[in-house]
Amino acid sequence: MYELRNVTKHYTRGRETVHALDGVDLTIPDGDRLVIQGPTGGGKSTLLQMLGALDRPTSGEVVLDGTDLAGLPEARLTRVRSENIGFVFQSFNLIPTLTAQENVETALVPLGMRARERRERAAEALNSVGLGERAAHLPSELSGGQQQRVAIARALVKRPKVLLADEPTGNLDEGMRDEIMDVLERLWKEHGLTFVMVTHDSSIARKAPRLATLRKGRITVEENAGA
Amino acid sequence: MFFTYLRRELRRRRKAALVVASGLALGIALVIVVDSVSSGMAKAQDEVLQSLYGLGTDMTVTKAASASTGDAQRPRFRFDAQNDGDTTSQSSDRVMVQGLTTLASSTVAEVEQQQGVSSAVGGLSLNVVKVDGRFTRGQFQQNGSGGTRQGRTGGAEGGQPQGEVRGGGADFDINQYTVFGTDVTRSALGPLTSSKITSGRTFRTTETDADVVVVDAAYARTKKYKVGSTVTVKGTEFKVIGIATAGSGDAAANLYVPLKRAQTLAGEKDKITTIYVEATDSQRIDSVKSAIRKNVSGTTVTTSADLARTVSGSLSTASSLATRVGRWLSIVVLVAAFLVAGLLTSSAVSRRVREFGTLKALGWRSGRVTRQVVGEAVVNGLVGGVLGIALGLAGAYAVTALSPSLQAQLGGGTGGSGLGGGPGGGGFGGPGRQAARTLEVALTAPVGVTTIVLAVGLAVAGGLIAGAFGGWRASRLRPADALRRVE
Repeated sequence: MYELRNVTKHYTRGRETVHALDGVDLTIPDGDRLVIQGPTGGGKSTLLQMLGALDRPTSGEVVLDGTDLAGLPEARLTRVRSENIGFVFQSFNLIPTLTAQENVETALVPLGMRARERRERAAEALNSVGLGERAAHLPSELSGGQQQRVAIARALVKRPKVLLADEPTGNLDEGMRDEIMDVLERLWKEHGLTFVMVTHDSSIARKAPRLATLRKGRITVEENAGA
Repeated sequence: MFFTYLRRELRRRRKAALVVASGLALGIALVIVVDSVSSGMAKAQDEVLQSLYGLGTDMTVTKAASASTGDAQRPRFRFDAQNDGDTTSQSSDRVMVQGLTTLASSTVAEVEQQQGVSSAVGGLSLNVVKVDGRFTRGQFQQNGSGGTRQGRTGGAEGGQPQGEVRGGGADFDINQYTVFGTDVTRSALGPLTSSKITSGRTFRTTETDADVVVVDAAYARTKKYKVGSTVTVKGTEFKVIGIATAGSGDAAANLYVPLKRAQTLAGEKDKITTIYVEATDSQRIDSVKSAIRKNVSGTTVTTSADLARTVSGSLSTASSLATRVGRWLSIVVLVAAFLVAGLLTSSAVSRRVREFGTLKALGWRSGRVTRQVVGEAVVNGLVGGVLGIALGLAGAYAVTALSPSLQAQLGGGTGGSGLGGGPGGGGFGGPGRQAARTLEVALTAPVGVTTIVLAVGLAVAGGLIAGAFGGWRASRLRPADALRRVE
């Protein structure tokens, strides 16, 4: 479970100070599915970085399962990321020189797993996103949707508690978008994940049980009873 | 995963990797060529010195310079004019001590007693000028009469006859060569050690006063001497017992005879020109030199280092070029190659911000990402090393194959007799005393194991330096960059 208490994040851009997050309080229970919306520059990605232990807040607490990530040293943050958090990026962020299988394996490298176990787990993850037969293909040989499915397999292969997705359908056409959303929804349910997703897509946002909106660093959360 | 990732990245970025590797290769190849040419120069210089000294000689002792006695010893030849039709040829040998100064043979024992001297051997260097041929009188020819008379009697009858002397003249051949009197009882030192007996034999220790001669192969070829031939020097007939081929450069003398015979030929009983000294420890040559200079008065001690300093000519020029320009050039190219490799690696990391940021977001430690970058750079360095070694070896091979000829001029001080020099002619009494001696040596570029080790070391260093640039850049990447790039 996440508990964010009065989280602020300020950047200095030239002479200007940007208040990316301005006193954000937010609780995300285990197994929750939260969609974050808001205009560009509203602080969505910054919030995702705080949740993903990629960055520390200027002030406030980001507590994950009782541990305040804001006070952890870099090595511990790295460990939190490697064990508990899966990321899915808008641009897929696959390593272009590695095959689908090897890309998925990169998420298991920090866990010190044996090569054989790594291969088996990666193959299993690729099967779960329907790409078992494309394991030996390079990203450039896959469609956008397939690449994003490889990225999802990579995010989930380590069996994390949390899945963070930053505009996962932003680079996909409508057909692909639905396909990816179906995969994500299915896996969220199967794995009992806490799933936080940033999106600009209103049709996706409408289906979310909880919708957070970030404007000028301030957050408002609304429950969506109809979702 | 490390090696899979490494292999794939290097394959994908072949062109960039090749640019980095080529830069390093160029630097490394230059280092190899310059290094091997330098050692070739040193070898050539050693060969030049060795051809004078012989193997194992650390220094020579000669008489200290004194006022020139050149006029008194200037060669003079006396021939009588022959009568018309007389074809008898006349011959005269003039044997002179090279450098015109000698030491007493007893000095050898004195030198040998000095601390640090392992052994000392005396030798006598001689120059021989042989002039032979015919000298005929001219004939007086009177104008108008058509008759001819012998010139000297032309004016005996009344009136001054009008006419001129025609015909007559001289036909003389001058042969100049060098003779070295060697101590046949101690053959381990001295100039003959740098030659190899390729035909016949060398001196026996019993042949201290025998009329036997060992002839330098090059001289033997021009004079058509063979083992068993006879060589006449100042009326003495010497039997050729062996042909000696100089190991490199020129031989120290054309003929080698037993020391005692050389002394007799020159009329210099118990005299020597040079003492060849071997030190017990090659590291203590300077102290031995000082000891000899201090304790054996009236001598000049010349070490091979002293002699090396007197080497001039194209060998010396090329040598200083190789050490100065070549070395600096290779350092500059290497530093530039290292810098370019570093900057290219660093900029490659900048282009891969998202990739490394993603890996960090997945939980890869900074160290692991840095290792990956350094690994790629080191492989680039090694590829550059291999290319550089191949290129360098090709360059060194080309130099050796072309074997450019270099001239080494030794000494070049004020000449003694004015007849010194010529092939094998110069003495080695010390800088300033001998006539300049020019030797031709072929330049080679031997590549030693140390050069290869140096090249491999440079390749690894180049890779590490490039890796350090890239690694430092990669370690500073924040995982958040993986997300920020897409915001």
